[in-house]
Amino acid sequence: MGRIDVERVPYEDYSNRQLIAVPLAILAVAIGVLALAYLLTGTPVALGFDFTGGTTVQFTADDASAGDIRDDLSGFETESVRSIGFGNDYEVETQLEETDELESAIEDRYGDDAIQSVETRSAKFGGDTQREALVGVVVAFLGMSVLVALIFRSLVPSVAVVASAFSDIVVPLALMRVFGIELSLGAVAALLMIIGYSVDSDILLNNHVLKRHGEFYDSAYRAMRTGVSMTLTSVAAMVTMAIVSRLLGIPLLDDVALILTFGLVTDLLNTYMLNISLLRWYKYEGVKR
Amino acid sequence: MIDVRDNWRVLLLLGLCVLAALALFGPLGADSGDTGLNESEQQVSDPTNLQYGLELSGGTRIRGLLEGLIAEDMNTGGEDPSTVARDLASELETDGINVTVRQRGPDRADIELFDRSITASEFADGLSAIGIDATTDDIEDGTTSETRSEAVDTISERIDRTGLGGSSVTTVSSATGEDFIVVEVPGEDRETVEELIGDPGRVQVIAGYPVRTDNGTELQTEEVLTGEDFTNISPAERPGNRNPFPRVPVALTDQAGQRYANLMQEAGFTGEGIGVCDFNATAHDGPREGQWCLYTVVDGEYVYGASMSDGLAEDINAGDFRTNPSFVLQTQSFEEAQQLEVNLRAGALPTNLTIESSSFISPSLAQKFKPLALITGIAAWISVALVVYVWYRDVRVAVPMFLTASSEVFLLLGFAASFGMALDLSHIAGLIAVIGTGLDDLIIMADEILQRKEKVQTGRVFQSRFRKAFWVIGMAAATTIIAMSPLAVLSLGDLQGFAIITIIGVLIGVFITRPAYGDVLRTLMLDDVDRS
Repeated sequence: MGRIDVERVPYEDYSNRQLIAVPLAILAVAIGVLALAYLLTGTPVALGFDFTGGTTVQFTADDASAGDIRDDLSGFETESVRSIGFGNDYEVETQLEETDELESAIEDRYGDDAIQSVETRSAKFGGDTQREALVGVVVAFLGMSVLVALIFRSLVPSVAVVASAFSDIVVPLALMRVFGIELSLGAVAALLMIIGYSVDSDILLNNHVLKRHGEFYDSAYRAMRTGVSMTLTSVAAMVTMAIVSRLLGIPLLDDVALILTFGLVTDLLNTYMLNISLLRWYKYEGVKR
Repeated sequence: MIDVRDNWRVLLLLGLCVLAALALFGPLGADSGDTGLNESEQQVSDPTNLQYGLELSGGTRIRGLLEGLIAEDMNTGGEDPSTVARDLASELETDGINVTVRQRGPDRADIELFDRSITASEFADGLSAIGIDATTDDIEDGTTSETRSEAVDTISERIDRTGLGGSSVTTVSSATGEDFIVVEVPGEDRETVEELIGDPGRVQVIAGYPVRTDNGTELQTEEVLTGEDFTNISPAERPGNRNPFPRVPVALTDQAGQRYANLMQEAGFTGEGIGVCDFNATAHDGPREGQWCLYTVVDGEYVYGASMSDGLAEDINAGDFRTNPSFVLQTQSFEEAQQLEVNLRAGALPTNLTIESSSFISPSLAQKFKPLALITGIAAWISVALVVYVWYRDVRVAVPMFLTASSEVFLLLGFAASFGMALDLSHIAGLIAVIGTGLDDLIIMADEILQRKEKVQTGRVFQSRFRKAFWVIGMAAATTIIAMSPLAVLSLGDLQGFAIITIIGVLIGVFITRPAYGDVLRTLMLDDVDRS
């Protein structure tokens, strides 16, 4: 059967310290980025409309550029004007109090049917959503940790899974900050989904190494062959979804896909450098103690 | 011949796919009911029984909080609830309608206050003043579930009266302990819906008349009638020959009729006050001195002031009115009359609804998303197919893998159609996420079962490999479900669909489609053995 194999990584040549250094350094940089952002702006990630409140209006403006629109709506405290999809659709964010005025200004200028969508959210509701999302992520993470601990019933393998899941969430958050992607509800869903994907490949690796006979490197290699195929397949799906939905101007889907892509790539690194070295240490040294 | 015992999982999957097809295209779909949009308004014809939420069909969703303070489980000492309410209202100098007492036991009650101008500490002081032990700590923002369900009924009624079909009004609790009212109206814009639900719609008739005192005359105002006093509400009428103003004819309950007639006579409306009211909506914002006016007041706004007509005064004085208390509420414009009619029929909201979030998406944009989301899904599907083929270079592995993953999505859609789940963008994102996890698991199975390490003998080896693969899949599924469950439960509305679809998809995958793929792999594995 012509199964294409994943390159066999010469793990034997590297010490645990060397292997673990890379993902930990990346995690440290990510935490550094988030901490710096927190000090400078007050939040680790830029909060989007879902969490801050305000108004976003999407409308069709034929034969107008983003600059024209900025001029036309100069009377409003617009926070951003950006074009969406292929057509002449633009999205404007403003303060909640100005919703009605902005709507009528757009209708006057670009026609009664120009407005495609309007979303408003009070700051208080945004704050509530923020708290709720935080609770959701924390509960999901704790639930996952408990379940992983129950599955493996030993400290090091469980910690390895939980640590790489943690890093799989934190690194994409830092990437969001770097690329200027605001945290939306879709992003929260994607972060939770990352937990699921991340644990998938970790469980596979742990299971092969701990629960089966055979030499460490062989077991690890077999798990890696399957795991890398899995993750790359998912990355293919997510990259496609990110590109297509961005081009077509479909909201929500592009955020979810992009952040999942970040998470999946980070997961490759964490599973096969962080998790694997912790397991090797556990298998060769930790168990003896 | 296919061995049924060895392939029952595949047969089960095929059977369920037929059911899903019937649900999607045939008679097994949930009754679509009134979706709000007529077929002609749908821009893209849809051959399936799937139902779409606002994001994919267009319309407005509004989330609001009922304003109010609540003191729960207070000791009323067995006092009658209506007495408590009256005492508290007069202590706090607010309208009686702003205080509600809900009995919870022989001497316990929840007490609600709907007056924004009164603070929590004033509320607590007021309670103490009428003999109910309360401190500021007992007072919380919020309302009782009865009040919320009254509000839901009123809003539903109003929307139905306005003829907006397919809408839904529900309450949702957030993790932070707030209870939102969520109103969804397909096909309508934000302003229309906000107008409809934004005001409590409290209708009063207030009499303003002069009374003689020692220092000359003084203006006296008194609430004569409120929403509950009206029965037999007729449709709003446009101005005609007999009536110069738009109006809503109503009847009064017997009790209210008596009270009204008595007051009219005592206050002089049916005597010197006949025809003495000069009301100008633009200039008037309240009663004026020296006039006998009957004001129609909606949410504190003076909508109209009417004078007593000769005919009605005669009826009242002759006593005919008491046996047949019919009444007319006049307004300035026909729109106001229609609004008034809706308010009277649906009743008033117990308190103000503060709008916390609203979203409107035009039907044309929303319906564009449907084919676009489909394109995105298909694109993701094709790229995944390519990658899977590149990994295995074997159609016998890749094609069944692919069909299995697709059947998972098909079953999910069938599930959505048979339960009448309204699909939104978040569901679509969930569907694509399900393809992702589904394929991951199929790859685990294929790699595990098709490995060629030791000499494979029979179905025994398959069983053990299948079980090993399944252990990993099962655990991974359990973690995904745990990770998603907070979203499925929390009120982060937009994401509930994502979480629910993902969880159901994982369940369908683990219990139905992936075992079926196992059967396919078994055949492949044994084929390989035969050949070697």
